[in-house]
Amino acid sequence: MSNARHMLGSMQSIDAPMQRYAENDAIDYVIAGVGAAGGVLLQRLARAGFRVVGLEAGPFWDTERQWVSDEAGSHQLYWEDPRVTGGTDPLALGANNSGKGVGGGSVHWAAFTPRLHPSDFEVYTRDGVGVDWPLTYDELRPYYELLELEMPVSGPAYYPWGHPHGYPYGPHPMGGVGNALIRGCSALDIPVSIGGPVAILAGSHGDRPHCIYRGFCIQGCKVGAKASTLITHVPDAIDNGAEIRDRSMVFRVALGADGRVTGVHYFDEDGREHVQRAKAVIVCGYAIETPRLLLNSSCAGFESGLANSSGTLGRYLMAQAGNLILGRFDELVRMYKAPPAHALTEEFYETDPRNDFARGFAIQTVGPLPIAFGKQMMAAKKAWGWGLRREMMDYNHWAAFGLLGEILPWSDNRVTLSETDTDRFGLPVAHVAFNLHDNDRRLIKAGKEKTLEVMWAAGAREVVQEARYAHLVGGARMGNDPATSVVDKFGRTHDVPNLFVCDGSVLPTQGSANPGLTIQALAARTADYLISCGASIFTGDARDMTTPPVRTSLSPPATWGKGVPRLT
Amino acid sequence: MSRRADDGPRTHPAGHVLPPREQPGYYRGFSTLAQQHAWDEHTREVVLGRVATVPPIRFFDDAAARFWTLVFDHLLPQSDRTSERRIPIVNVVDARLYEDRTPGYRFAEMPTDRDAYHLGHEAIDDEARTRYGADFGELEYEQRENVLAAIHDGEPRAAAAVWKQMSVHRFWQLIVGDAIDAYYAHPWAWDEIGFGGPAYPRAYTRLERGDPEPWEVREQRYAWSAPPGARSDETENVHAFSVESEQHRSHAKKAHDE
Repeated sequence: MSNARHMLGSMQSIDAPMQRYAENDAIDYVIAGVGAAGGVLLQRLARAGFRVVGLEAGPFWDTERQWVSDEAGSHQLYWEDPRVTGGTDPLALGANNSGKGVGGGSVHWAAFTPRLHPSDFEVYTRDGVGVDWPLTYDELRPYYELLELEMPVSGPAYYPWGHPHGYPYGPHPMGGVGNALIRGCSALDIPVSIGGPVAILAGSHGDRPHCIYRGFCIQGCKVGAKASTLITHVPDAIDNGAEIRDRSMVFRVALGADGRVTGVHYFDEDGREHVQRAKAVIVCGYAIETPRLLLNSSCAGFESGLANSSGTLGRYLMAQAGNLILGRFDELVRMYKAPPAHALTEEFYETDPRNDFARGFAIQTVGPLPIAFGKQMMAAKKAWGWGLRREMMDYNHWAAFGLLGEILPWSDNRVTLSETDTDRFGLPVAHVAFNLHDNDRRLIKAGKEKTLEVMWAAGAREVVQEARYAHLVGGARMGNDPATSVVDKFGRTHDVPNLFVCDGSVLPTQGSANPGLTIQALAARTADYLISCGASIFTGDARDMTTPPVRTSLSPPATWGKGVPRLT
Repeated sequence: MSRRADDGPRTHPAGHVLPPREQPGYYRGFSTLAQQHAWDEHTREVVLGRVATVPPIRFFDDAAARFWTLVFDHLLPQSDRTSERRIPIVNVVDARLYEDRTPGYRFAEMPTDRDAYHLGHEAIDDEARTRYGADFGELEYEQRENVLAAIHDGEPRAAAAVWKQMSVHRFWQLIVGDAIDAYYAHPWAWDEIGFGGPAYPRAYTRLERGDPEPWEVREQRYAWSAPPGARSDETENVHAFSVESEQHRSHAKKAHDE
């Protein structure tokens, strides 16, 4: 961090000096990755009085000096270190789903924050597919409610799907894409949620301003209106004594002779190796880097990866179907205005026995900026040359909807270590294999066709689509059975009592909801568990499976006494 | 094949090739750069830097730089722009390759981006020689369009050894994607398509009905045609596929059907 005032958004700043711990000082917790989950954990643990350090591979952003309102200038926000992507249906990575820097993916998400439905926690019991979660919706629900206030979330006062609920901040005004979705859905008698749920401020909140509808949400919200843990939780973490060491790439979790981890090895910006000792380690690297780190930490007793006695580490990786449906209208849309995320329908979310597939999908607004739109025209219309120039001149006539379809967890969708490619530190990079299965293909086809139908019903003169994927979860899934999962329902690895995983990789299934809210809710729950366990995590092997009380006293300032009453 | 099922208001049967203009597109007089006073300082620095500075060629050798300049003139043609208002592409791609900036992944069926450019150069020249008996750079405009259209369609006749090492479809997406990255990052391209550009801290205020901000302009459409012999002023509208791995097959299938 430079000497100048460190700005987070246009109004918020970090003014106090940050705590600095010595590397040989055995702190309580070291967190590898300060993203959506790591940011929440760091804040909770610091508030509860633990000595905690977050190591983050990317920079600690000063948003005023480092972020831009510009597509081409925002690549630094994405994980663009090398990876290999394969399988029968390879996933685009990088900007599509991988963040880097403090705040991680929550810096470049579109900030849609639907909850999972109660059915998501028991898809095996209900439909005989995937796997049940080791916890229920009701166990996670208080954390959904808490994080919706902490972010906070704007949306309708009554949200009808899953477990019906309301949102604490008012819905956003409609942009052209939202209006098209409302028009299309209404023509087909499909209910639609207007103005959210999205973690973007419809009014000012604490030291954060309201949204200015500039449309660069996934290039990082320079305004400070869109929630990211960089601005919602990290400042409070630092105020409460947490340290963040940025540009610090953890590459190995160290295991002691007693079967407990002793800290982590990391490279600083200049490639110098360091070791941070800690009484417990929490890996928060997301669905690809978490498995990669644990695979790279293999050692005597864990030859195929640390905490991988089950052989499931890296497996059951999931992306969601993200087919993009584009409609061209005679009238102007100008979809670059308003947040990309501002209206959706979950009417097709649940399993419908009339379908030839299990589970379902959502349809959401999207607002691609010119470069993204150009590549969509390349894919959806095979446009190049003069045809591309012509389509692009019609940019302002197009609206875009995103299908968000559930893809089930499959053992062969997995992260392994590349045998050929290494990164700048000489470490094997992640190889990601992704393969669609029959249920996935049928679901995607039906979801695509329904989304096309809605776009036509909205009045589009031409409708095209690009097939793609969105989000990532899984790879270190949670479960009750140590033989088929990596962590228990609190994120503690089955194999190593003081090693935890907390991020999107622990999700056993994913529903058709954007994962960001669920990831942060799980992090707050894991924090409550760690706080309840206290020092026993650092010394004993006992595995207390008691659900901890929900601590509402650990929320960041300005959480309470705001918003509107919820209708639930 | 009809060029598109629904031409809507976009083209006029009597459309003709227009002489080069300073600013093509339907938003005459609109300038995002004229709004730079309303941008934040760092955004202004980055965008103005992009306009002012064309990076030098460092990755491509002279022959490769000439070759790729010619290829990009087809992938993202600019002959409707006056020479002083053309947007640099090959230099921007060269800078990415020189600095080895990648999107953060490599498809398993692809070599590195650097190698893909070397191999692609070889394959396109081979295709040109197979079809017309001369390197790509020696061909007439229409012949060059045909060579590139063969790659676009996923149906090259030559360079089997190269295409064993990389997917035709992924290679095509790589080079057209790079052209898009360079062209549509430029404020002159934003003016052309009526994109409002950076809006922090000022904000957008007219979110509905496609209404322009007070500082934006209304659309003023006109008809135009691509130059004679252009193959690229054709687009498809294919819905049959549902998943990404099938998306590239549609074109090959169409060609067989015809």
